[in-house]
This record gives sequence, C-alpha cells and structure tokens, in this order.
Amino acid sequence: MSGPSLEVRRSSASLWGEKTGMRRLPVVSKYIDTTTCIGCKACEVACQEWNDLGVVPTRQTGSYQTLPTLDAEFWNLIRFSERETSDGALAWLMRKDQCIHCEDPGCLVACPAPGAIVQYENGIVDVDPQKCIGCQLCLAGCPFNVPRFHKKTGKMAKCTLCVDRVHVGLEPACVKACPTGCLQFGTKLDMVAMGQARVEQLKENGFEQAALYDPPGVGGTGVVTVLAYGDHPEWYDLPRDPHVPLAVRLWKGVLRPFGMLAIFGTILGVIGHFMTHGPQKPGEPGEEGA
Amino acid sequence: MWPSAQAIVTARITEDVVVGDEVVRHRLASRVIHWAVAFFFLICLLSGLPIWTPVFGWMAGLLGGLSVCRVLHPWAGVLFFASALAMFQNWRREMRLEPKDREWLGPGALRRLGFLALERDPEVGKYNGGQKLFFYAVWLGAVGLLASGLVLWWPTSFSQPIRLAGILLHDVTFILFAVAIVLHIYLGTAAEPGTFRSMTRGTVSAAWARLHHPRWYRDVKEGVSD
Repeated sequence: MSGPSLEVRRSSASLWGEKTGMRRLPVVSKYIDTTTCIGCKACEVACQEWNDLGVVPTRQTGSYQTLPTLDAEFWNLIRFSERETSDGALAWLMRKDQCIHCEDPGCLVACPAPGAIVQYENGIVDVDPQKCIGCQLCLAGCPFNVPRFHKKTGKMAKCTLCVDRVHVGLEPACVKACPTGCLQFGTKLDMVAMGQARVEQLKENGFEQAALYDPPGVGGTGVVTVLAYGDHPEWYDLPRDPHVPLAVRLWKGVLRPFGMLAIFGTILGVIGHFMTHGPQKPGEPGEEGA
Repeated sequence: MWPSAQAIVTARITEDVVVGDEVVRHRLASRVIHWAVAFFFLICLLSGLPIWTPVFGWMAGLLGGLSVCRVLHPWAGVLFFASALAMFQNWRREMRLEPKDREWLGPGALRRLGFLALERDPEVGKYNGGQKLFFYAVWLGAVGLLASGLVLWWPTSFSQPIRLAGILLHDVTFILFAVAIVLHIYLGTAAEPGTFRSMTRGTVSAAWARLHHPRWYRDVKEGVSD
C-alpha cells in the first residue's frame, strides 16, 4: 500500500465500511486499446522495473506470452491468443492482463483482515501487506482471477495501478513505457469517452462487434479495455458478465447476521429455558423408583 | 457429591460399573478424547471468529493477532478433526441407533423439553436418541469442516466453483455446529446437574443414572454390558 490513508474510500473487514477517508479525488482510469497493442511487452518490463519485482523464469508454451498467468512477482501480463473469426480469418489478439480495479471489488468484499485491501477515493484498489494475513480469500472474491499469493512474504500481491506514481501526478509505469499510445491514463470520464470514440472508429472500419470492456456487474472498472471482438470477451480471457460471486455476497452478507442470530438466539433460548423450566435434578417427580 | 477415591481409580480403565452409590460412566480415555476435541474446537473458535467477522476482531488478540489466527486455525482444525475421528471410533459402537431411539426422538421429544412435565422413558440406555443424533451431527460437522477447510487452506489447488462451495460449506457448517455446541454445553451443565462430573471425574450418582438412563442403570447393576 503506497497511498495515504486520508484518501481511503473503502476498506476490507471494516465495521463502518464506506467513506473512511476525508479527501475527495477524481476517479482515475487506465485505457487499454487492444487493437493498437503490438505485443512489445514494454509495459511488462516497465512494471517489473518500477515496482522492483523479482525475476520470474519464463516458460515456453508455444506462444509469445511471457507466463501462463499472472504471478506474485509479475502483475502485468500481455496475453496472446489466436482465434478464428466468423469469416474464417485469423485474429491474433493481445490483451494486457492485470488487476482492473473494480468499482465494487470482490477481493475487498471477501477479505477478512481489516484494512488489508483498500479502495482509494480515486478508485484504485490496493493491498496493504502490513495488514494482509495471506489467507487468499480475496482470490475467491475476484471474478478476474488476479490476486496472487507471494510465498516469500506470505502476502497477496497485485497491480497497484502505480498508486505511488499517481499520487504524485505521474501516469502508471506501463503507460509511460507504451510506444504505440494504446495505453492512456486519465480520469475515468475521459478514458471512457476515449474508449467510446475508438469503438465508433472501429465500427466504421468494419469491426461491428467492437466494444469497450467496462463491466457493469462490478460497477465498472478502473481499467477500461477496447476490444475489437467485443462480442467475444472470452477470446481475451475476460469473463462475459463478471460479478462479485453470490457465495461471497451470502457469506459476507446475510449469513453473518443470520449466524449471529442463530448462535446468540440459542444462548438466550437456553437461558430462557433454564429460567422457566429449571434444572432437572435427580430425586424429583417422574423419576423411576425415586 | 464428590466421587470416592475408589470410583476415580476404577474410572481410569473401566466404565459401566457400579462403585458404591456411584456409577462409572466414562473411562479416562473417553474423557481425554472428549476434552481434546473440546480444546481444539475452542482454539478453532477463537481463531476463526475474528476471521469470520470483525465484530469478534478482539478475540484475535487473545491468540496473538489475526496473522497468528490465520496460521493457527487450519492446524488446530486438523487436530480437531483427528480428535473427532478418535471420538467417533471410541463411541461408534455405543451410538448405534436402535428402534427405541426413533421412538424417543418422536413426538415425545418436544414434550420432554419441558422438564417440569416429566415424561420419562424407562427404556433409555446409556445414550438417548438425542445424544446419538448429536454424536453423528458432530462427526458430520467435523467431516464437513475438514473438507471445506482444506479447500480454503489451498485455494489455488481448486477451481473457483469449488472454492466458493468451500466457503459456503465452512460457514454454514460452523453456524450449525456452534448452535449444537451451545445446546450440548447447556444440557451437560446447568440443565441437568450431576452430568458434568461424568466428563471430569468419570462417575455419576446412582440417582442420576436412574433418572436419565434407567435401562443403562438396570443393566450396569446387573452386570450386563450395554
């Protein structure tokens, strides 16, 4: 966690939950245009450099992809996939996989450690390793399979949207490094407008199915992605309609007051039973041969 | 009130025998197993409740903080399951459900809750139908908590649907378990005086045995094993 606590909007396992900070900040967002990404991986390198992440041995899986999936020491992964489009053409797709900073973060909802996952006023979702207990329950809350357990620290790690840079007025390291301009950074409103304009442009150029990925099921995200094949988000390893899982909602929602009621209700019940029916001692009426 | 020295010595190795005006109900091994289960359940409870909700966050301090709880909880859970397994083995034979247990659990069970309107069943053996049901509920709960607990312990080894099912199963099983334990503690202490000592020093009074487990008392007196 690199941001100041005055800017915390929401924190995990907080009894009061919302609005724990004082300052108001504009909500920021990262814009990713998968159609102008050339797969150069400059963003991967910039992320490793800026966040001082360790070396992760790469694996050859018959693709340009650096790793099969995100890692505790690798928060920014360009995913490569090859698909056959409806007209039989090849689509070679590249998508920047990372934490997309949900407006309603499932990881934060699932986290049991107070303050271990926070959402700042500017929308960035961040892990505080001092408070993280490494239980990995955030993984069950995340519809995008992003948080990773770091074996060395015993804590969770993921993209911070370079909150330390953003806090001092800089763009995230990956955006700084991108040579094609397919990564942009600004307010959420500006980035959505830019994304919508790009989608219109793509549609005019024959990509009728182009769309901006900003899923409403999680309240929108702090990373918006332009997809040429917006009707097939799964081609980019993105869920079609992501939500904070119902099981997590039940567990953190109705089951806690229900459980509390059941347990304390039973305690009150036995006290009531004792007061109205008393103890059952040997040598009282009804006993066989008493 | 206090058991005789002879009764305590007898209760080290044997049970279901009459010593003076006392009856040995639980031999030492059974009692040790029971308290092992209870101890590890308590550790799991104290380390699990602060993870369940921040309302019980203060409990984490009793064990050294939430990070300690996170490490302690799964290991205490394994020991809880291991002792529950020993408990299941220890009592399995005596807890076999019989036709008369079904009768005990029938419509009379609710009426029996009202202690004053005593409705005794002279055919209750060493364990009544309710105790047997509780025994199986604890065993089922221990299996459910272990299975779901393992998923929560190594979440990356399981798929997302299994992880989510594990969370729900662990949660619901715990709530039901906690409710059952409250009833168990009440019945073993305040509700039925003379019961608790059967789990500490191993013996009960003959009067207690006649009241709560008449057939067991008759059998023990005649030297017939239950």
